[in-house]
Amino acid sequence: MDKFELVFVIIVIAILTSFLSALIYATNFGYQPPTVCSVYPAVQAFKSGIEEIQPGIYKVRVIAERFYFDPSIIVLKNPKKVIFEVLSRDVLHGFEIVGTNVNVMIMPYYTATFTWDVPQDLKGDFLIVCNEYCGEGHQIMYAHLIIER
Amino acid sequence: MEISFKQEDRFSKVSIIFGFFMLAIGGLFGLLQLLTRTPYSPIQLSPSLYYLSLTAHGVSLAIVWTAFFIMAIATFVISRELNVNLNKILLNLALGLSIIGVLMTTLAILSGTSSVLYTFYPPMRADPLFYLGATILILGTWIFAATIFLAFIKWRMKNKLSIPIATFGILTTLIIWLEATPGLAIEVIKDLLPMSLSNKPVDVLEARTYFWYFGHPLVYFWLVPAITLWYFLIPKLLNTKLYSERLPKVSFILFILLSTPVGIHHQLVDPGIANQYKFMQSVLTYLVTIPSFLTAFTLLATMEKSYREKGGKGLFSWIKHLPWKDSVFAGIAFSLILFGFGGIGGIINTSYTLNAVVHNTTWIVGHFHLMVATAVTLTFMVSSYVIIPMLFNKAVMFRKLAIIQPYLWFIGMTVFSLTFHIAGLYGMPRRTADVLYGGYAPQIWIILAIIAAIGGVILWLSGAIFIFNAGISTIKGPRIAMDAGSLFEHNSNDPTILDRISIWVILAFVIIIIAYVLPFMQIYSRGLSPAPPVPP
Repeated sequence: MDKFELVFVIIVIAILTSFLSALIYATNFGYQPPTVCSVYPAVQAFKSGIEEIQPGIYKVRVIAERFYFDPSIIVLKNPKKVIFEVLSRDVLHGFEIVGTNVNVMIMPYYTATFTWDVPQDLKGDFLIVCNEYCGEGHQIMYAHLIIER
Repeated sequence: MEISFKQEDRFSKVSIIFGFFMLAIGGLFGLLQLLTRTPYSPIQLSPSLYYLSLTAHGVSLAIVWTAFFIMAIATFVISRELNVNLNKILLNLALGLSIIGVLMTTLAILSGTSSVLYTFYPPMRADPLFYLGATILILGTWIFAATIFLAFIKWRMKNKLSIPIATFGILTTLIIWLEATPGLAIEVIKDLLPMSLSNKPVDVLEARTYFWYFGHPLVYFWLVPAITLWYFLIPKLLNTKLYSERLPKVSFILFILLSTPVGIHHQLVDPGIANQYKFMQSVLTYLVTIPSFLTAFTLLATMEKSYREKGGKGLFSWIKHLPWKDSVFAGIAFSLILFGFGGIGGIINTSYTLNAVVHNTTWIVGHFHLMVATAVTLTFMVSSYVIIPMLFNKAVMFRKLAIIQPYLWFIGMTVFSLTFHIAGLYGMPRRTADVLYGGYAPQIWIILAIIAAIGGVILWLSGAIFIFNAGISTIKGPRIAMDAGSLFEHNSNDPTILDRISIWVILAFVIIIIAYVLPFMQIYSRGLSPAPPVPP
């Protein structure tokens, strides 16, 4: 291997190592991709709703169906942590809260459970969009998250 | 002994013309759907026509244009570089099946019953014709791959030589295709066809995992031929030799090993796949960037070397002295530059912490337009300026247009892709007929969408110029006599361990099994949760 090849390989290793370290760091200290799910027939009993299970800790159950989210307006007061449980009743949908890192695929007959640590100063009206093509009305499938402080 | 390549060239001609045709159609649908999703644009299709256009755009460009162009150059390179004939019957069978398959799928899309986009996630159900066409196309490409491998084996029996570089690239391409397509075949035959024909419910997580098992190596099926063209054409254009003859083969082998066991990085926000498997495939994806980095190094080093050989001095003045007025060189250089940005973007996408911000936003669209629509498509377009004279014995008619074209593409793509990346960071979703969301959309989306559309129009213009120039040159170009064989040098090097492709293929399968057995075990042991089909 000549000198320039070696220098280049070192640069490549440095780039990849920095990304990998960032990934491991972020995984251990905060963000986890959605993993927990339940499948049929358990999903049959799924009901939508918003529940404050402890002060500041909410459980929000969302049903996605062409072309709406139920509930379509989610109001949370001083949330610290939100445990989302989402389910699709028909096709693949997406669940993206614009301006946050909440971004999950909603699969039919699968629930996804994931936790969102709400940034302390976050407040206002947030757009929730379906970000996976789900049919002719995909572009009108959205909801609101309102955070009050 | 002179061998006649009439049959092979006829295949390449039909294949490349069909590819150009699909490029023209796909580009037109691309423009229509882009303008539709842009607020205040003069062209607004209905949502159902928007999704039809988006499906047609994706299928005809990502799958058909690339596959047919690749088959054309694969035949050209293998026959000329190895100086062997290909089996005529198999070749014609492959071409016939592929075209029939494409026509069936196109018909299904245009009928309006199959607007399922080019990822066709179940349980959204397309017309059976859509899936049948895809199956027949895959069958055609398998027969094509077999034809190429038969010719290669024929050459290898007679020659104990190291494999020439372009042939190595083509073989890598087809090996990756054969690694990848079983995933799609299983999904289509096991799930999608029965779903479409008899309403069989389908488990979406399982189907998506098979799809992305195929979907990511598909990217390298496009990219490796483009890289092969870079390795092949750059030294010829600069009148020098590659900086290293070994490094390109090392990168091809790394692509064989690592292109497939990475598909789960498209499913980072899918529930039901454990984080450790996502992490494993993220790390494998980091590794598959290494051959791309090596490629960039080899090519940049070759460019600098060519200038120094002519006595050039200075740290960066070699950049200025490159033949920027040569359309082929300029196109490849732009491809390489944007491929670099796309590559860094790819590392971001596979880092699942960052992916959470950009998943299914226009960032992703911006990313893959740098890759498949520039690194691949722009390379294929400018390479056509070399290949058309070789195949058709006709010169390119409008030289000036041929020079302007890659520059326009570069400008258009930079504007389009950069704004789509930024809009993605603001959360603008991809694949939506309307970004206004009843007026609740952030203002910045609207501004960025409009700027991106301007870039898109420039892109379309560049594409239209290409189609016009390439089309008219194949028909009315001035006749010239070209000896395509003279492009290829015949080496007499001894083979090395790098040339023992079967070892690398076996190793690739071991890695694939390690990367996929655990996720599939998790999916199956949990029990499937099939959902009944729904029309689009």
